[in-house]
Amino acid sequence: MNNDYHVYFDALPCYLTVQDRDFRIIEANERFRWDFGDIEGRFCYQVYKGRSERCEICPVARAFHDGQRHRSEEQVKSLDGRQISVLVEATPIRDDDGKITAVMEMSTDITELKHLERQLRRSQRRYHLLFDEVPCYISIQDRELNIVEANRAFHEDFGACLGRKCYEVYKHRSEPCVPCPVQETLEDCAPHTREEVVTSLDGRHQNVLVTAAPICDGQGRITGVMEMSANITQVRQLEDRLTSLGLLIGSVSHGLKGLLNGLAGGMYLVDSGFKKEDKARVERGWGTVQRNVSRIQSMVSDILYYAKDRVPAWEPLSAVEVAEDVCRLMETRATEQGVRLSTVLDATAGAFEGDAQAVRSLLVNLIENSIDACRLDGKKPEHGVTVRLQGLSDFVQFEIEDNGIGMDQETKEKAFTMFFSSKGMEGTGLGLFIADRITRAHGGRIELESHPGVGTRFIVHLPRKRPPPEESEDSHPSEMDAAHDR
Amino acid sequence: MTDDAKTVLVVDDDPDAREYLTTVLEDNGFTATTANDGAEAIASLEEEIPDLVSLDISMPEKSGVAVYRKLKEDERFKDVPVIIITGISEEFERFISSRRQVPPPEGYISKPVDAEQFVRKVRELTG
Repeated sequence: MNNDYHVYFDALPCYLTVQDRDFRIIEANERFRWDFGDIEGRFCYQVYKGRSERCEICPVARAFHDGQRHRSEEQVKSLDGRQISVLVEATPIRDDDGKITAVMEMSTDITELKHLERQLRRSQRRYHLLFDEVPCYISIQDRELNIVEANRAFHEDFGACLGRKCYEVYKHRSEPCVPCPVQETLEDCAPHTREEVVTSLDGRHQNVLVTAAPICDGQGRITGVMEMSANITQVRQLEDRLTSLGLLIGSVSHGLKGLLNGLAGGMYLVDSGFKKEDKARVERGWGTVQRNVSRIQSMVSDILYYAKDRVPAWEPLSAVEVAEDVCRLMETRATEQGVRLSTVLDATAGAFEGDAQAVRSLLVNLIENSIDACRLDGKKPEHGVTVRLQGLSDFVQFEIEDNGIGMDQETKEKAFTMFFSSKGMEGTGLGLFIADRITRAHGGRIELESHPGVGTRFIVHLPRKRPPPEESEDSHPSEMDAAHDR
Repeated sequence: MTDDAKTVLVVDDDPDAREYLTTVLEDNGFTATTANDGAEAIASLEEEIPDLVSLDISMPEKSGVAVYRKLKEDERFKDVPVIIITGISEEFERFISSRRQVPPPEGYISKPVDAEQFVRKVRELTG
C-alpha cells in the first residue's frame, strides 16, 4: 500500500483489517492494533473473538465466496476485556487478474449506539405499558381529527376507532364539537383542558376531564394532539348527591318553618282560649295543632324514607282495602282545601304483594300532590280529585286524577325528580320522587298525563307478584348513612 | 272593636297562619282583614287602605314578592308600612338589596312567628 493510503488507513476511526484466504490478518490499522493487540500471523477469529476456530456465519467468508460486499453485526472482545458491538463490512480485494486475494474488513464501533437502542426499546416498552394501562382514556388525533392511536381503556369503552373522527366515536356527532380542546391545541400549540360528557359503546354517559396536549415534529410544527381524559363521573355523582343534600336541608327547613308557624298559631289559640275560657277557641286551636303535627309527621317520614331506601316488607295486600284506607285518611285534608275527593274502586281488584306502609305513602303523596294542584288553580269554580282502582291480570292499577293547575312539558319532565314542589310553603318537594321510588321498588311504574290549566292524571301499575330480587331498584348504599351518626 | 282601631291586612296562603295572626291582632285591639294571595291582597287594598300590611313572602310562585313590589311602587299604597313574614329572610334581603328602587320593608319577622314580638312591631309601626 502506498504511503498516502497508509496514512488514511491508519487515521480512520474504525477497525480495519485485511484477511487472506486462510483468515489470517495480513494488515491492520492503528486503531485495531491499539484495541486488539498484535496481529502477526494470527487469525481474525482468534483476535476479535477469542475463538479457536472460524465463526459459523462470517461476512469475510461470504465475501471470499461470492465476491460481494457483506455486512453484519458482531460482538467482539478487546484486549482489555471490553465487549464491543461492531458493524462489520467485508469487501473483497482483487488482484490484477480479478481474483480475490484478500478481504478487507471494516468494523465500526456501535457499542454506544446499541446501548441507546436498548434504552430506546426499554423506554418504548414502558411508554406502551403506561399508554395502555393508565386508567384514563388516551387517544391521539391527527390534524384532521382522525384517531390514529388509542389506548386499551379507550378501545374497551369506545370500540374500534382507528381512522375514525374523534367526535363521531365518543360524541356520536357528525361534525366537530364547538368548542373543542383538541382544535384549540391544534391552533395554538398549547395544552387545553375542558370538562366534557362522552358516550361509551354501551350508551352510558361519562363525565370526563379532557386535557389536549400538542405533539410536534422536530421543527416544532404540530402534527397531532394527544387527548387524555380522566373519568370524573363518580366525582360528579358524589357532587350531585351533596348538592341534593344541601338543597334538601334548605328546602326542609323552609317547609318546616311554615309548619312550625301553624303549630305556633294552634298553640296560641289553645293558650289564649284557656285564658279567656273560650272553649270554641281551644277546640279550633287544638285542631290546628293536630293538623300541623300530622303534616310534620308526613314530612319527617318523607325525609326518613329518602335517607334510608327501605326494602319492602312484602305481604299480601288487598288493593281495595289499601285504597279505601288512604282515601279515608285524605278525606279531611281534601275538604279543608275545598277539594272533593271521590272514588271509583273495583271491589274485585284482588290482591297484590307489597309493603303496606310504603304503598299507602305512595298513594298519599300522589293525592296530596293533586290536592295542592287544585289549591293552586284559581280558575275553576269546583275542584275534585278522583281515585280509581282497577284489577288487571298481572297488575293492579291505581289512578289519581285532578282538575287542578296541570303541568307543562318542562314540569312534567321534572315531576319525579327531587325538589319538584308546587307546594310553596309546605312540602319538601320529595313527594313525587318518593312515590316513584316506592313504585319502582315494587317492580311497577307510574305514568303521568297532564295539561296546563286542565288537570293531571297519575296512573300507577303495581305487579301482583313481587319482582325477583335483582330487578327491583331498592337499596343502594344510602347517601345519608353518615348523617345517622349525628 | 272601637272605630279608631287600627286595621291590619294579613296576607298569607296558609289558613292556619291567617287564623293565628288575625286572632293575635284582634286580641290586642286591632281589626284584621285577610287575603289568600297576591290578587286578593291588591283587591283588598283598593277597597280600603289598611294601617299596616303583614305579608308572607314565601307564598307560591313568588306572589309574595310581586305583591310587595306592587305595594311599594304604587303611589296610593307605598306609604303603608309592611311587615314581611319570612321563612328565609336572607333570600329576601338579597332580593331587596339587588333592587335599589324598591325600598326595604318597615319590619321583618321570621317564622314561626312569636305573638308578642309581632304585636310589638305592629304597634310600633302603626303609632
